[in-house]
Amino acid sequence: MKTIGVIGILASALPAVAGAQGRPTLAFRGDAGFVWVRSDTAAAAAGGAVRLRGPVLGGEGRVVFNGFAVGVGLLSGTLQAADQTVKRDLIEGRLVVAAQPVPWLEMSVGPFVRAYVTDSVTERWVFWQARARVEAPIVTASLTSYVELWRALSSQVNLVAGAGRVQGGEAGVVYRPPQRPFWLRLAYRVDDAAVRVGGSQTLEEISVSVVVGAR
Amino acid sequence: MTRAFIVLTMSLLLGGAQVLRAQSARELLGQGVRAYQALEYDAAAALLEESLGRDSSGLADSLRARALTYLGATELFRGQRDSAVATFRHLVLLNPRYRPDELIFPPQVTNLFQEVRRATRAIAVAVPPVTELRTRIERFTARVLTSSLADVTVTLAREDGTLMRQLYSGPVADSLLVSWDGLTAAGTAATDGRYLLQVTPRTPTADGPRARQVLLEVKQEPPDTLAWPPEPPFLPERTSSGPAFRSLAAGLVTGAAAVALPSIMAQGKDATGARFAVGAAVGIAGFVGFFAHKPRPLEANVRKNASQRDAWMKKLDGVKTENATRLRTMRLVVRAGPETFAERRSE
Repeated sequence: MKTIGVIGILASALPAVAGAQGRPTLAFRGDAGFVWVRSDTAAAAAGGAVRLRGPVLGGEGRVVFNGFAVGVGLLSGTLQAADQTVKRDLIEGRLVVAAQPVPWLEMSVGPFVRAYVTDSVTERWVFWQARARVEAPIVTASLTSYVELWRALSSQVNLVAGAGRVQGGEAGVVYRPPQRPFWLRLAYRVDDAAVRVGGSQTLEEISVSVVVGAR
Repeated sequence: MTRAFIVLTMSLLLGGAQVLRAQSARELLGQGVRAYQALEYDAAAALLEESLGRDSSGLADSLRARALTYLGATELFRGQRDSAVATFRHLVLLNPRYRPDELIFPPQVTNLFQEVRRATRAIAVAVPPVTELRTRIERFTARVLTSSLADVTVTLAREDGTLMRQLYSGPVADSLLVSWDGLTAAGTAATDGRYLLQVTPRTPTADGPRARQVLLEVKQEPPDTLAWPPEPPFLPERTSSGPAFRSLAAGLVTGAAAVALPSIMAQGKDATGARFAVGAAVGIAGFVGFFAHKPRPLEANVRKNASQRDAWMKKLDGVKTENATRLRTMRLVVRAGPETFAERRSE
Protein backbone atom coordinates (compact mmCIF):
# COMPACT_ATOMS: atom_id res chain seq x y z
CA MET A 1 0.00 0.00 0.00
CA LYS A 2 2.76 2.39 0.94
CA THR A 3 4.73 1.39 -2.14
CA ILE A 4 1.70 2.11 -4.30
CA GLY A 5 1.46 5.55 -2.70
CA VAL A 6 5.09 6.33 -3.48
CA ILE A 7 4.66 5.12 -7.05
CA GLY A 8 1.58 7.29 -7.42
CA ILE A 9 3.37 10.40 -6.26
CA LEU A 10 6.33 9.71 -8.50
CA ALA A 11 4.02 9.07 -11.42
CA SER A 12 2.39 12.43 -10.89
CA ALA A 13 5.81 14.02 -11.01
CA LEU A 14 6.78 12.31 -14.26
CA PRO A 15 5.06 14.73 -16.66
CA ALA A 16 6.82 17.63 -15.01
CA VAL A 17 10.15 15.83 -15.17
CA ALA A 18 9.59 14.89 -18.78
CA GLY A 19 8.71 18.45 -19.69
CA ALA A 20 11.67 19.91 -17.87
CA GLN A 21 13.86 21.51 -20.47
CA GLY A 22 15.14 24.58 -18.66
CA ARG A 23 18.50 24.75 -16.96
CA PRO A 24 18.44 23.71 -13.32
CA THR A 25 18.62 26.47 -10.74
CA LEU A 26 19.64 26.38 -7.12
CA ALA A 27 17.77 27.60 -4.10
CA PHE A 28 18.82 27.82 -0.48
CA ARG A 29 16.73 28.40 2.55
CA GLY A 30 17.94 29.31 5.99
CA ASP A 31 15.61 28.80 8.96
CA ALA A 32 15.62 30.17 12.46
CA GLY A 33 12.93 28.82 14.66
CA PHE A 34 11.70 27.77 18.03
CA VAL A 35 10.54 24.24 18.77
CA TRP A 36 8.21 22.78 21.37
CA VAL A 37 8.14 19.02 21.90
CA ARG A 38 5.66 17.17 24.07
CA SER A 39 6.43 13.48 24.52
CA ASP A 40 4.36 10.92 26.37
CA THR A 41 5.76 7.84 24.70
CA ALA A 42 6.07 4.74 26.86
CA ALA A 43 9.73 5.36 27.50
CA ALA A 44 9.11 8.83 28.69
CA ALA A 45 5.88 8.06 30.43
CA ALA A 46 7.65 6.55 33.37
CA GLY A 47 8.35 10.03 34.52
CA GLY A 48 5.23 11.54 32.98
CA ALA A 49 4.97 13.62 29.82
CA VAL A 50 8.14 15.39 28.87
CA ARG A 51 7.93 18.94 27.59
CA LEU A 52 10.95 20.37 25.87
CA ARG A 53 11.61 23.53 23.96
CA GLY A 54 14.41 25.41 22.42
CA PRO A 55 15.70 27.35 19.46
CA VAL A 56 16.70 25.60 16.28
CA LEU A 57 18.55 26.53 13.11
CA GLY A 58 18.13 24.82 9.83
CA GLY A 59 18.44 25.02 6.12
CA GLU A 60 17.57 23.40 2.86
CA GLY A 61 19.19 23.32 -0.53
CA ARG A 62 17.29 22.51 -3.70
CA VAL A 63 18.04 21.91 -7.31
CA VAL A 64 15.04 23.09 -9.26
CA PHE A 65 14.15 21.96 -12.73
CA ASN A 66 11.18 23.10 -14.65
CA GLY A 67 8.54 22.12 -12.10
CA PHE A 68 10.73 19.47 -10.56
CA ALA A 69 13.07 19.69 -7.57
CA VAL A 70 15.40 17.61 -5.46
CA GLY A 71 16.35 18.92 -2.03
CA VAL A 72 18.23 18.15 1.12
CA GLY A 73 17.34 19.73 4.45
CA LEU A 74 18.83 19.78 7.92
CA LEU A 75 17.66 21.23 11.22
CA SER A 76 19.38 21.18 14.58
CA GLY A 77 18.95 22.63 18.02
CA THR A 78 19.08 21.94 21.71
CA LEU A 79 15.85 21.45 23.62
CA GLN A 80 15.44 21.45 27.31
CA ALA A 81 12.69 21.34 29.87
CA ALA A 82 11.48 24.46 31.53
CA ASP A 83 13.25 23.49 34.75
CA GLN A 84 16.36 22.58 32.75
CA THR A 85 16.44 19.07 34.24
CA VAL A 86 16.07 17.36 30.89
CA LYS A 87 18.11 18.30 27.86
CA ARG A 88 18.18 16.78 24.41
CA ASP A 89 19.61 17.69 21.03
CA LEU A 90 17.16 17.64 18.14
CA ILE A 91 18.45 16.78 14.70
CA GLU A 92 16.29 16.43 11.63
CA GLY A 93 17.33 15.56 8.12
CA ARG A 94 15.32 15.04 5.00
CA LEU A 95 15.69 14.28 1.37
CA VAL A 96 12.89 15.37 -0.88
CA VAL A 97 11.89 14.84 -4.49
CA ALA A 98 9.19 17.30 -5.50
CA ALA A 99 7.08 17.96 -8.51
CA GLN A 100 4.78 20.85 -9.35
CA PRO A 101 2.13 19.58 -11.79
CA VAL A 102 0.21 22.85 -11.55
CA PRO A 103 1.50 26.20 -10.31
CA TRP A 104 -0.50 26.12 -7.09
CA LEU A 105 0.30 22.54 -6.07
CA GLU A 106 3.54 20.84 -5.13
CA MET A 107 3.73 17.13 -4.30
CA SER A 108 6.83 15.61 -2.80
CA VAL A 109 8.12 12.42 -1.32
CA GLY A 110 11.25 11.43 0.51
CA PRO A 111 12.83 9.99 3.63
CA PHE A 112 12.85 11.94 6.86
CA VAL A 113 15.01 11.29 9.90
CA ARG A 114 14.53 12.82 13.35
CA ALA A 115 16.75 12.11 16.29
CA TYR A 116 16.58 13.11 19.95
CA VAL A 117 20.07 12.74 21.30
CA THR A 118 21.12 12.58 24.92
CA ASP A 119 24.51 11.65 26.34
CA SER A 120 23.37 8.03 26.71
CA VAL A 121 20.49 7.39 24.29
CA THR A 122 19.49 8.42 20.83
CA GLU A 123 15.84 8.11 19.93
CA ARG A 124 15.66 7.89 16.15
CA TRP A 125 12.63 8.15 13.98
CA VAL A 126 12.84 7.30 10.27
CA PHE A 127 9.92 7.58 7.95
CA TRP A 128 8.98 8.13 4.34
CA GLN A 129 6.87 11.17 3.89
CA ALA A 130 4.39 12.02 1.18
CA ARG A 131 3.64 15.72 1.18
CA ALA A 132 1.15 17.95 -0.63
CA ARG A 133 1.50 21.70 -0.61
CA VAL A 134 -1.11 24.16 -1.85
CA GLU A 135 -0.26 27.80 -2.50
CA ALA A 136 -2.61 30.75 -2.83
CA PRO A 137 -1.40 34.20 -3.80
CA ILE A 138 -2.49 37.03 -1.56
CA VAL A 139 -0.81 39.85 -3.41
CA THR A 140 0.23 38.61 -6.81
CA ALA A 141 3.89 37.55 -6.98
CA SER A 142 4.86 39.24 -3.73
CA LEU A 143 2.77 37.74 -0.94
CA THR A 144 1.74 34.11 -0.96
CA SER A 145 0.17 31.86 1.62
CA TYR A 146 0.53 28.11 1.71
CA VAL A 147 -0.65 25.05 3.54
CA GLU A 148 1.28 21.78 3.46
CA LEU A 149 0.12 18.45 4.83
CA TRP A 150 2.09 15.27 5.03
CA ARG A 151 1.79 11.75 6.20
CA ALA A 152 4.30 8.97 6.69
CA LEU A 153 4.03 6.13 4.21
CA SER A 154 6.24 4.00 6.45
CA SER A 155 7.84 4.72 9.81
CA GLN A 156 10.35 3.23 12.14
CA VAL A 157 11.54 4.17 15.61
CA ASN A 158 14.12 2.60 17.83
CA LEU A 159 11.70 2.39 20.74
CA VAL A 160 10.35 -0.88 22.03
CA ALA A 161 6.81 0.26 21.45
CA GLY A 162 7.34 0.72 17.75
CA ALA A 163 6.14 3.53 15.46
CA GLY A 164 2.54 4.12 14.63
CA ARG A 165 0.82 6.81 12.57
CA VAL A 166 3.01 9.79 11.80
CA GLN A 167 1.59 12.92 10.19
CA GLY A 168 1.84 16.64 10.25
CA GLY A 169 1.21 19.93 8.56
CA GLU A 170 2.56 23.38 8.00
CA ALA A 171 0.98 26.75 7.20
CA GLY A 172 2.67 30.02 6.48
CA VAL A 173 3.13 33.07 4.38
CA VAL A 174 5.92 33.95 1.96
CA TYR A 175 6.87 37.53 1.22
CA ARG A 176 9.00 38.38 -1.78
CA PRO A 177 10.15 41.99 -1.61
CA PRO A 178 10.13 43.69 -4.98
CA GLN A 179 13.53 44.02 -6.66
CA ARG A 180 15.19 41.81 -4.04
CA PRO A 181 16.89 38.44 -4.65
CA PHE A 182 15.52 36.82 -1.51
CA TRP A 183 12.23 35.75 0.00
CA LEU A 184 11.05 35.80 3.59
CA ARG A 185 8.90 33.11 5.08
CA LEU A 186 6.97 32.80 8.32
CA ALA A 187 5.69 29.31 9.09
CA TYR A 188 4.11 27.20 11.76
CA ARG A 189 4.34 23.42 11.66
CA VAL A 190 3.13 20.58 13.78
CA ASP A 191 4.20 16.93 13.59
CA ASP A 192 2.57 14.17 15.56
CA ALA A 193 4.22 10.76 15.82
CA ALA A 194 2.33 8.04 17.62
CA VAL A 195 3.72 4.82 19.02
CA ARG A 196 1.81 1.57 18.80
CA VAL A 197 1.17 0.99 22.48
CA GLY A 198 -0.11 4.45 23.14
CA GLY A 199 1.45 7.79 23.54
CA SER A 200 2.97 10.13 21.03
CA GLN A 201 5.42 12.86 20.39
CA THR A 202 4.11 16.21 19.19
CA LEU A 203 6.51 18.73 17.76
CA GLU A 204 5.56 22.31 17.03
CA GLU A 205 7.78 24.83 15.37
CA ILE A 206 7.51 28.46 14.47
CA SER A 207 10.15 29.63 12.08
CA VAL A 208 11.33 32.54 10.06
CA SER A 209 13.20 31.73 6.87
CA VAL A 210 15.16 33.48 4.19
CA VAL A 211 15.08 31.93 0.73
CA VAL A 212 17.63 32.79 -1.92
CA GLY A 213 17.22 31.70 -5.52
CA ALA A 214 14.33 29.72 -6.87
CA ARG A 215 11.98 28.29 -4.34
CA MET B 1 -67.03 20.78 -66.38
CA THR B 2 -70.36 21.70 -67.96
CA ARG B 3 -70.87 24.54 -65.49
CA ALA B 4 -67.44 25.90 -66.22
CA PHE B 5 -68.15 25.83 -69.95
CA ILE B 6 -71.39 27.72 -69.45
CA VAL B 7 -69.70 30.37 -67.30
CA LEU B 8 -66.94 30.80 -69.88
CA THR B 9 -69.40 31.08 -72.75
CA MET B 10 -71.53 33.65 -70.89
CA SER B 11 -68.45 35.70 -70.04
CA LEU B 12 -67.33 35.76 -73.66
CA LEU B 13 -70.80 36.71 -74.88
CA LEU B 14 -71.17 39.54 -72.35
CA GLY B 15 -67.66 40.85 -72.97
CA GLY B 16 -68.14 40.64 -76.72
CA ALA B 17 -71.44 42.46 -76.50
CA GLN B 18 -69.87 45.31 -74.56
CA VAL B 19 -67.09 45.64 -77.14
CA LEU B 20 -69.64 45.62 -79.97
CA ARG B 21 -71.73 48.23 -78.18
CA ALA B 22 -68.71 50.47 -77.65
CA GLN B 23 -67.66 50.09 -81.24
CA SER B 24 -71.18 50.75 -82.35
CA ALA B 25 -71.47 53.96 -80.31
CA ARG B 26 -68.12 55.10 -81.59
CA GLU B 27 -69.06 54.26 -85.17
CA LEU B 28 -72.34 56.10 -84.79
CA LEU B 29 -70.41 59.11 -83.45
CA GLY B 30 -68.08 58.93 -86.45
CA GLN B 31 -70.99 58.67 -88.85
CA GLY B 32 -72.74 61.54 -87.11
CA VAL B 33 -69.65 63.73 -87.38
CA ARG B 34 -69.31 62.91 -91.07
CA ALA B 35 -73.01 63.70 -91.62
CA TYR B 36 -72.52 67.04 -89.80
CA GLN B 37 -69.55 67.84 -91.99
CA ALA B 38 -71.67 66.95 -95.05
CA LEU B 39 -74.30 69.44 -93.76
CA GLU B 40 -76.79 66.58 -93.41
CA TYR B 41 -77.95 67.88 -90.05
CA ASP B 42 -81.04 65.71 -89.63
CA ALA B 43 -79.08 62.55 -90.23
CA ALA B 44 -76.26 63.86 -88.04
CA ALA B 45 -78.69 64.62 -85.20
CA ALA B 46 -80.22 61.18 -85.43
CA LEU B 47 -76.87 59.41 -85.47
CA LEU B 48 -75.38 61.52 -82.65
CA GLU B 49 -78.47 61.11 -80.46
CA GLU B 50 -78.33 57.39 -81.08
CA SER B 51 -74.66 57.24 -80.16
CA LEU B 52 -75.39 59.11 -76.94
CA GLY B 53 -78.51 57.14 -76.31
CA ARG B 54 -76.63 53.92 -76.14
CA ASP B 55 -75.53 52.62 -72.81
CA SER B 56 -73.59 55.37 -71.07
CA SER B 57 -70.65 53.00 -70.67
CA GLY B 58 -70.42 52.83 -74.48
CA LEU B 59 -68.58 56.15 -74.80
CA ALA B 60 -65.83 57.59 -72.75
CA ASP B 61 -66.35 61.05 -71.22
CA SER B 62 -64.12 62.68 -73.82
CA LEU B 63 -66.13 61.10 -76.67
CA ARG B 64 -69.42 61.97 -75.00
CA ALA B 65 -68.22 65.57 -74.78
CA ARG B 66 -67.33 65.43 -78.49
CA ALA B 67 -70.72 63.92 -79.39
CA LEU B 68 -72.56 66.52 -77.32
CA THR B 69 -70.61 69.34 -78.95
CA TYR B 70 -71.44 68.11 -82.46
CA LEU B 71 -75.04 67.48 -81.45
CA GLY B 72 -75.37 71.02 -80.01
CA ALA B 73 -73.89 72.51 -83.16
CA THR B 74 -76.16 70.33 -85.33
CA GLU B 75 -79.25 71.40 -83.38
CA LEU B 76 -78.21 75.04 -83.73
CA PHE B 77 -77.87 74.73 -87.48
CA ARG B 78 -81.15 72.85 -87.65
CA GLY B 79 -82.76 75.89 -86.03
CA GLN B 80 -83.42 74.04 -82.81
CA ARG B 81 -81.77 76.59 -80.54
CA ASP B 82 -83.44 75.35 -77.34
CA SER B 83 -82.25 71.85 -78.04
CA ALA B 84 -78.77 73.21 -78.69
CA VAL B 85 -78.84 75.09 -75.37
CA ALA B 86 -80.00 71.98 -73.53
CA THR B 87 -77.27 69.91 -75.15
CA PHE B 88 -74.56 72.44 -74.29
CA ARG B 89 -75.92 72.67 -70.75
CA HIS B 90 -75.57 68.93 -70.48
CA LEU B 91 -72.02 69.26 -71.79
CA VAL B 92 -71.12 71.91 -69.21
CA LEU B 93 -72.47 69.79 -66.41
CA LEU B 94 -70.42 66.89 -67.71
CA ASN B 95 -67.22 68.89 -67.71
CA PRO B 96 -67.28 72.52 -66.55
CA ARG B 97 -63.88 73.19 -68.12
CA TYR B 98 -64.74 71.86 -71.57
CA ARG B 99 -64.41 74.30 -74.51
CA PRO B 100 -65.37 73.55 -78.16
CA ASP B 101 -62.47 73.78 -80.56
CA GLU B 102 -62.71 77.21 -82.24
CA LEU B 103 -60.88 75.88 -85.32
CA ILE B 104 -63.58 73.29 -85.92
CA PHE B 105 -66.73 75.07 -84.85
CA PRO B 106 -67.86 78.45 -86.17
CA PRO B 107 -68.31 81.45 -83.83
CA GLN B 108 -72.07 81.10 -83.61
CA VAL B 109 -71.55 77.67 -82.03
CA THR B 110 -68.76 78.70 -79.63
CA ASN B 111 -70.58 81.91 -78.70
CA LEU B 112 -73.73 79.99 -77.87
CA PHE B 113 -71.68 77.51 -75.83
CA GLN B 114 -70.02 80.36 -73.88
CA GLU B 115 -73.44 81.87 -73.27
CA VAL B 116 -74.74 78.57 -71.95
CA ARG B 117 -71.59 78.02 -69.91
CA ARG B 118 -71.96 81.37 -68.20
CA ALA B 119 -75.60 80.67 -67.48
CA THR B 120 -75.00 77.12 -66.29
CA ARG B 121 -73.41 76.88 -62.89
CA ALA B 122 -71.62 73.57 -62.58
CA ILE B 123 -69.04 72.19 -60.22
CA ALA B 124 -66.63 69.33 -60.71
CA VAL B 125 -63.81 67.91 -58.67
CA ALA B 126 -60.78 66.02 -59.97
CA VAL B 127 -58.49 63.93 -57.78
CA PRO B 128 -55.61 61.61 -58.55
CA PRO B 129 -56.62 57.95 -58.33
CA VAL B 130 -53.97 57.07 -55.72
CA THR B 131 -52.01 59.42 -53.49
CA GLU B 132 -49.42 58.46 -50.90
CA LEU B 133 -48.52 61.12 -48.40
CA ARG B 134 -46.83 61.65 -45.07
CA THR B 135 -49.07 63.58 -42.74
CA ARG B 136 -48.07 67.19 -42.02
CA ILE B 137 -45.28 67.04 -44.58
CA GLU B 138 -46.97 66.07 -47.82
CA ARG B 139 -50.42 66.83 -49.14
CA PHE B 140 -53.27 65.25 -50.97
CA THR B 141 -54.54 67.62 -53.69
CA ALA B 142 -57.90 67.97 -55.40
CA ARG B 143 -58.80 70.37 -58.19
CA VAL B 144 -62.20 72.03 -57.92
CA LEU B 145 -63.58 73.16 -61.28
CA THR B 146 -66.45 75.54 -61.85
CA SER B 147 -68.10 76.68 -65.06
CA SER B 148 -68.50 80.18 -63.68
CA LEU B 149 -67.74 82.07 -60.52
CA ALA B 150 -69.14 80.09 -57.61
CA ASP B 151 -68.93 80.19 -53.82
CA VAL B 152 -68.15 76.71 -52.63
CA THR B 153 -67.20 74.83 -49.51
CA VAL B 154 -64.81 71.92 -49.76
CA THR B 155 -65.06 69.48 -46.87
CA LEU B 156 -63.88 66.08 -45.85
CA ALA B 157 -66.52 64.02 -44.13
CA ARG B 158 -66.75 60.53 -42.89
CA GLU B 159 -68.79 58.09 -44.90
CA ASP B 160 -71.75 58.62 -42.58
CA GLY B 161 -71.64 62.34 -43.38
CA THR B 162 -70.00 63.51 -40.15
CA LEU B 163 -67.82 66.49 -40.94
CA MET B 164 -64.15 65.78 -40.33
CA ARG B 165 -62.42 68.82 -41.73
CA GLN B 166 -63.23 71.85 -43.84
CA LEU B 167 -60.59 72.37 -46.48
CA TYR B 168 -61.81 75.52 -48.22
CA SER B 169 -64.67 77.94 -48.21
CA GLY B 170 -64.85 80.77 -50.72
CA PRO B 171 -65.15 81.73 -54.36
CA VAL B 172 -63.82 79.70 -57.25
CA ALA B 173 -63.62 81.54 -60.56
CA ASP B 174 -62.42 78.74 -62.79
CA SER B 175 -60.46 76.19 -60.86
CA LEU B 176 -58.91 75.87 -57.44
CA LEU B 177 -56.34 73.53 -56.02
CA VAL B 178 -57.37 72.30 -52.57
CA SER B 179 -54.92 70.36 -50.45
CA TRP B 180 -55.18 68.18 -47.34
CA ASP B 181 -52.32 67.32 -44.99
CA GLY B 182 -53.86 64.03 -43.85
CA LEU B 183 -54.95 65.34 -40.45
CA THR B 184 -58.32 65.62 -38.80
CA ALA B 185 -59.58 68.87 -37.31
CA ALA B 186 -58.09 67.68 -34.00
CA GLY B 187 -54.63 67.48 -35.56
CA THR B 188 -54.36 63.72 -35.56
CA ALA B 189 -53.76 61.53 -38.58
CA ALA B 190 -56.90 60.32 -40.31
CA THR B 191 -57.70 56.77 -39.33
CA ASP B 192 -58.35 53.95 -41.76
CA GLY B 193 -61.73 54.23 -43.41
CA ARG B 194 -63.83 55.80 -46.12
CA TYR B 195 -64.22 59.55 -46.41
CA LEU B 196 -66.12 61.86 -48.71
CA LEU B 197 -64.46 64.82 -50.34
CA GLN B 198 -67.43 67.08 -50.98
CA VAL B 199 -67.64 70.32 -52.96
CA THR B 200 -70.85 72.07 -52.07
CA PRO B 201 -72.24 75.48 -53.09
CA ARG B 202 -72.25 77.78 -50.09
CA THR B 203 -75.77 78.96 -50.90
CA PRO B 204 -77.58 76.10 -52.56
CA THR B 205 -80.37 77.09 -54.89
CA ALA B 206 -82.70 75.09 -57.08
CA ASP B 207 -81.02 76.26 -60.26
CA GLY B 208 -77.54 76.38 -58.76
CA PRO B 209 -74.79 73.87 -59.29
CA ARG B 210 -75.18 70.50 -57.69
CA ALA B 211 -72.73 69.41 -55.05
CA ARG B 212 -70.14 66.89 -56.13
CA GLN B 213 -68.24 64.35 -54.11
CA VAL B 214 -65.51 61.80 -54.39
CA LEU B 215 -65.23 58.76 -52.17
CA LEU B 216 -61.76 58.51 -50.65
CA GLU B 217 -60.52 55.33 -49.08
CA VAL B 218 -57.79 56.14 -46.57
CA LYS B 219 -55.39 53.58 -45.20
CA GLN B 220 -52.67 54.20 -42.64
CA GLU B 221 -49.28 52.63 -43.14
CA PRO B 222 -47.02 52.63 -40.08
CA PRO B 223 -43.79 54.53 -40.68
CA ASP B 224 -40.42 52.82 -40.76
CA THR B 225 -38.39 53.71 -37.69
CA LEU B 226 -34.62 53.59 -37.39
CA ALA B 227 -32.94 50.94 -35.26
CA TRP B 228 -31.12 52.21 -32.19
CA PRO B 229 -27.37 52.40 -32.66
CA PRO B 230 -25.59 49.47 -30.98
CA GLU B 231 -23.91 50.20 -27.68
CA PRO B 232 -20.15 50.45 -28.19
CA PRO B 233 -17.93 48.00 -26.29
CA PHE B 234 -17.07 50.01 -23.18
CA LEU B 235 -13.87 49.32 -21.30
CA PRO B 236 -14.13 48.33 -17.63
CA GLU B 237 -14.11 51.45 -15.50
CA ARG B 238 -13.11 49.77 -12.22
CA THR B 239 -10.82 46.93 -11.40
CA SER B 240 -12.58 43.71 -10.56
CA SER B 241 -13.38 42.94 -6.93
CA GLY B 242 -12.58 39.27 -7.50
CA PRO B 243 -8.82 39.45 -6.75
CA ALA B 244 -9.50 41.37 -3.52
CA PHE B 245 -11.82 38.73 -2.19
CA ARG B 246 -9.56 35.92 -3.40
CA SER B 247 -6.66 37.50 -1.47
CA LEU B 248 -8.74 37.88 1.65
CA ALA B 249 -9.99 34.32 1.34
CA ALA B 250 -6.46 32.98 0.85
CA GLY B 251 -5.18 34.82 3.94
CA LEU B 252 -8.11 33.89 6.16
CA VAL B 253 -8.21 30.25 5.09
CA THR B 254 -4.46 29.81 5.54
CA GLY B 255 -4.56 31.60 8.90
CA ALA B 256 -7.43 29.39 10.00
CA ALA B 257 -5.51 26.33 8.79
CA ALA B 258 -2.49 27.36 10.88
CA VAL B 259 -4.68 27.69 13.95
CA ALA B 260 -6.51 24.44 13.26
CA LEU B 261 -3.48 22.32 12.31
CA PRO B 262 -2.90 20.83 15.80
CA SER B 263 -6.57 19.92 16.07
CA ILE B 264 -6.40 18.14 12.73
CA MET B 265 -2.97 16.56 12.85
CA ALA B 266 -2.44 16.07 16.58
CA GLN B 267 -5.84 15.60 18.09
CA GLY B 268 -6.12 15.75 21.84
CA LYS B 269 -2.73 17.36 22.34
CA ASP B 270 -2.10 20.65 24.02
CA ALA B 271 -0.74 23.00 21.39
CA THR B 272 1.22 26.14 22.10
CA GLY B 273 0.10 29.63 21.19
CA ALA B 274 2.66 29.82 18.40
CA ARG B 275 0.04 28.88 15.84
CA PHE B 276 -1.99 31.95 16.71
CA ALA B 277 0.93 34.23 15.90
CA VAL B 278 1.35 32.69 12.46
CA GLY B 279 -2.42 32.48 11.91
CA ALA B 280 -2.82 36.14 12.77
CA ALA B 281 0.10 37.14 10.55
CA VAL B 282 -1.33 35.26 7.57
CA GLY B 283 -4.81 36.65 8.26
CA ILE B 284 -3.44 40.18 8.35
CA ALA B 285 -1.61 39.47 5.11
CA GLY B 286 -4.99 38.51 3.68
CA PHE B 287 -6.44 41.86 4.67
CA VAL B 288 -3.41 43.61 3.18
CA GLY B 289 -4.04 41.73 -0.05
CA PHE B 290 -7.72 42.67 0.09
CA PHE B 291 -6.99 46.37 0.36
CA ALA B 292 -4.20 46.15 -2.21
CA HIS B 293 -6.66 44.66 -4.69
CA LYS B 294 -9.60 46.79 -3.66
CA PRO B 295 -11.55 47.86 -6.78
CA ARG B 296 -10.44 51.29 -7.95
CA PRO B 297 -11.41 53.41 -10.90
CA LEU B 298 -9.44 53.08 -14.10
CA GLU B 299 -9.16 56.74 -15.08
CA ALA B 300 -7.89 56.16 -18.61
CA ASN B 301 -10.78 53.80 -19.32
CA VAL B 302 -13.26 56.19 -17.72
CA ARG B 303 -12.03 59.02 -19.98
CA LYS B 304 -12.09 56.85 -23.09
CA ASN B 305 -15.56 55.53 -22.25
CA ALA B 306 -16.86 59.04 -21.61
CA SER B 307 -16.00 60.20 -25.12
CA GLN B 308 -17.42 56.99 -26.61
CA ARG B 309 -20.53 57.29 -24.48
CA ASP B 310 -21.07 60.92 -25.50
CA ALA B 311 -20.80 60.05 -29.18
CA TRP B 312 -23.16 57.12 -28.74
CA MET B 313 -25.68 59.17 -26.76
CA LYS B 314 -25.66 61.81 -29.49
CA LYS B 315 -26.38 59.17 -32.09
CA LEU B 316 -29.09 57.69 -29.87
CA ASP B 317 -30.72 61.09 -29.34
CA GLY B 318 -30.63 61.70 -33.08
CA VAL B 319 -32.34 58.39 -33.77
CA LYS B 320 -34.91 59.02 -31.04
CA THR B 321 -35.72 62.44 -32.47
CA GLU B 322 -35.95 61.06 -35.99
CA ASN B 323 -38.19 58.22 -34.85
CA ALA B 324 -40.43 60.59 -32.92
CA THR B 325 -40.75 62.72 -36.06
CA ARG B 326 -41.50 59.69 -38.17
CA LEU B 327 -44.09 58.44 -35.70
CA ARG B 328 -45.75 61.85 -35.73
CA THR B 329 -45.95 61.79 -39.51
CA MET B 330 -48.09 58.80 -40.34
CA ARG B 331 -48.02 57.60 -43.94
CA LEU B 332 -51.41 57.54 -45.63
CA VAL B 333 -52.52 55.93 -48.86
CA VAL B 334 -55.57 57.66 -50.34
CA ARG B 335 -57.46 55.89 -53.11
CA ALA B 336 -60.11 57.92 -54.89
CA GLY B 337 -63.36 56.53 -56.24
CA PRO B 338 -65.42 58.02 -59.06
CA GLU B 339 -66.82 61.52 -58.85
CA THR B 340 -70.55 61.54 -58.16
CA PHE B 341 -73.30 64.02 -57.36
CA ALA B 342 -73.70 64.51 -53.68
CA GLU B 343 -77.11 64.08 -52.19
CA ARG B 344 -78.66 67.42 -51.42
CA ARG B 345 -78.73 67.82 -47.70
CA SER B 346 -81.97 68.90 -46.14
CA GLU B 347 -81.74 72.49 -45.00
